[in-house]
Amino acid sequence: MHKTWAIIKREYLERVNTKGFIISTLVVPFVLIALVMAPALLLRTNLDNQRHIAIIDLTDRLAKPVTEGLQASYKTSKGEPIYNVKTLNVTRENIKMAKSELNQKIYEGVFDALLVFPADIFQTNNFELYAKNVSNIERNSTLERTVTNTVRRLRMQENGFDASLIEQINKRVQATTYKVKSQGSTKESGQLSFLISYIMVFLLYMALIFYGMFVMRGVIEDKSSRVVEMITSSVSPSQLMTGKVLGIGASGLTQFVIWILIAVFLSTFGLTAVQIFNPSIQNLPLPDISIWVYVAFVVYFLLGYFLYATLYAAVGSMVSQESDAQNLQWPVLMFIILAFLFMFAVINNPDSTLSVALSLIPFFTPILMFLRISMEAAPLWQIGLSIAIVLLTNWLFLWISGRIYRIGILMYGKRASLPEALKWIKS
Amino acid sequence: MVSLKMHNVNKAYGKIHAVKDLNLAIQQGDIFGLLGPNGAGKTTAIRMIMDILRPDSGYIEIFGKPNSATLRDEIGYLPEERGLYKKMNVFDVISFFAEIKSVPQKEIPDRASNLLQKLDLLDWRDKKVEELSRGMQQKLQFICTVIHEPKLIILDEPFTGLDPVNTRILKDMMLDMKAKGTTIIFSTHLMEQVEKLCESICLINRGESILRGKVSDIKTTFGKNRVRMSYEGKADFLTDPSYIASYDDYGQYVEIQLAEGVSSQELLKNAMQKVAVQHFEIADPSLNEIFISTVKSEGNNHA
Repeated sequence: MHKTWAIIKREYLERVNTKGFIISTLVVPFVLIALVMAPALLLRTNLDNQRHIAIIDLTDRLAKPVTEGLQASYKTSKGEPIYNVKTLNVTRENIKMAKSELNQKIYEGVFDALLVFPADIFQTNNFELYAKNVSNIERNSTLERTVTNTVRRLRMQENGFDASLIEQINKRVQATTYKVKSQGSTKESGQLSFLISYIMVFLLYMALIFYGMFVMRGVIEDKSSRVVEMITSSVSPSQLMTGKVLGIGASGLTQFVIWILIAVFLSTFGLTAVQIFNPSIQNLPLPDISIWVYVAFVVYFLLGYFLYATLYAAVGSMVSQESDAQNLQWPVLMFIILAFLFMFAVINNPDSTLSVALSLIPFFTPILMFLRISMEAAPLWQIGLSIAIVLLTNWLFLWISGRIYRIGILMYGKRASLPEALKWIKS
Repeated sequence: MVSLKMHNVNKAYGKIHAVKDLNLAIQQGDIFGLLGPNGAGKTTAIRMIMDILRPDSGYIEIFGKPNSATLRDEIGYLPEERGLYKKMNVFDVISFFAEIKSVPQKEIPDRASNLLQKLDLLDWRDKKVEELSRGMQQKLQFICTVIHEPKLIILDEPFTGLDPVNTRILKDMMLDMKAKGTTIIFSTHLMEQVEKLCESICLINRGESILRGKVSDIKTTFGKNRVRMSYEGKADFLTDPSYIASYDDYGQYVEIQLAEGVSSQELLKNAMQKVAVQHFEIADPSLNEIFISTVKSEGNNHA
């Protein structure tokens, strides 16, 4: 037992001590944090800078309501108006001079923008906007929207409509989505929970491929560096294979536990953290993920990992160089890819007979059953059954792979064929 | 006491009979030469001793006990093909191999330092294996082979790639271990070293042992009909089969096996007429000659 332990330890440390491991462990949560925090923090920088706007109003009735509209709707995080508006007393006669004077001031940064409302704005539906940078879409559309709303309201009043009534009539209607859980209903954004399911399944898919390949590569390296000869004089091939699979699996588990801890931390303290920078933010688009989904994620990663890692170990033992493994690993890789492709069918209808059947096929279970669990479409008996089926398959594959591996690791030279491998299993 | 006994051991891979009725008995504290041309079945025999492979028939006893995986911790094996984990540092590699040989954790650092010191590698203790030269890696691998102080050591070509200084260090260590009662099985193609180090040998060819026994006994059986000669000139007399059975010419030095009934004095007389003889010696056959002639005649019998 302590021999297997020594191998587990070595394999684990060798993986965890690499730059690739450290980077991938940190980059994924960083991207997650960025996704959640960035919109909130970006909003803050935009909102906290006061904007100085100059208005030349040749209609004499737009400047005041536009100013009020801008100041009422757009506030900094401290609750002060963002737009600092100055209306200039300019007439049709001195407008040319005033414009060139203001252009100079805009250039010097005294004003961020100049709005010129021509006298015929109600007919032409056009006003002029001068700024150093005219491609600031957010500012342009804010100003346009405010002017449009003001012009509309004035037109309504002139035609005898009650502007506030019409606004009331025109209000948009929005849907709030509710996900039905056994404990009762919880409010949640439907789009987001779908996205989270998708991201987690994708991570699972990548992890199964990558960690499976790590195992295969490890086995091939042992063989090509001939270190396997030294090791098999101390431990049995099955101890070596078990140690390798467990050690690399433990490094994967470490990575996921770190990710999950960060995710849990983020959903618990993320809002508080963001509020330090921007107290006006009241809620973040944080998904409400049940702890059981995280548990299922780890469980199905481990089940799937052992299923595929033992197969990858067998493939690795049958070749002497990694380039020879390309063809042999295809059957294994194909199952993982198929599972991922079936995902779209399952997402559309997680309760269908097809979805249930697919998710109970051991090769697909890790990805598809987890997907259905994350969508809360899998009853407990199906979860239990799927775990039992995969465990049984794991046991079978461990036996088959062990027999191939036992002979394969000491064979050098040409790649072993599948019929040869079958002979090894029987021998 | 017999450290290793192989009795009528057979192993076949499909139609290839890799080891045929192999019998061996190696005394404790011996350095035993396991010889044979490439593909003779040495590696298969060694793997059976390590219990990596099981014999099809016959049995192997180690230290008087039937061979089993539990005996692995008492055996050290340096394979012919060298390999270590390149990314690990020197001490970690030693520590890993010690652990899988069940050396108690707290004894590892002292034993490692001691061996590193002996093999002049102590300065490299914390360097990565891939930074070491080939010769140093080989010494490191030797440390990994003996870190658990095995009672039986199998060394497959331990000297290839080592410079004379390191060859000597390694040889002295082998003799040290022998003096402490360690049994060493030494597999190599370098007959000079076998001649100097081994008491007994077994020569395997095509899976069968074709020559076995004490080195001195084997030499006696092959008789004192060898001549070694250094010369200057053109030695065309060597090709005369009437008094020279076989020879191995190096240009200025030649090893000659005389034909039956021919005296060495006759050869000397002949040679002096053709070349300037600088050194003339009547000697035992070298193991090299025995090896070549035995393997060759075996080959002829099979052909």
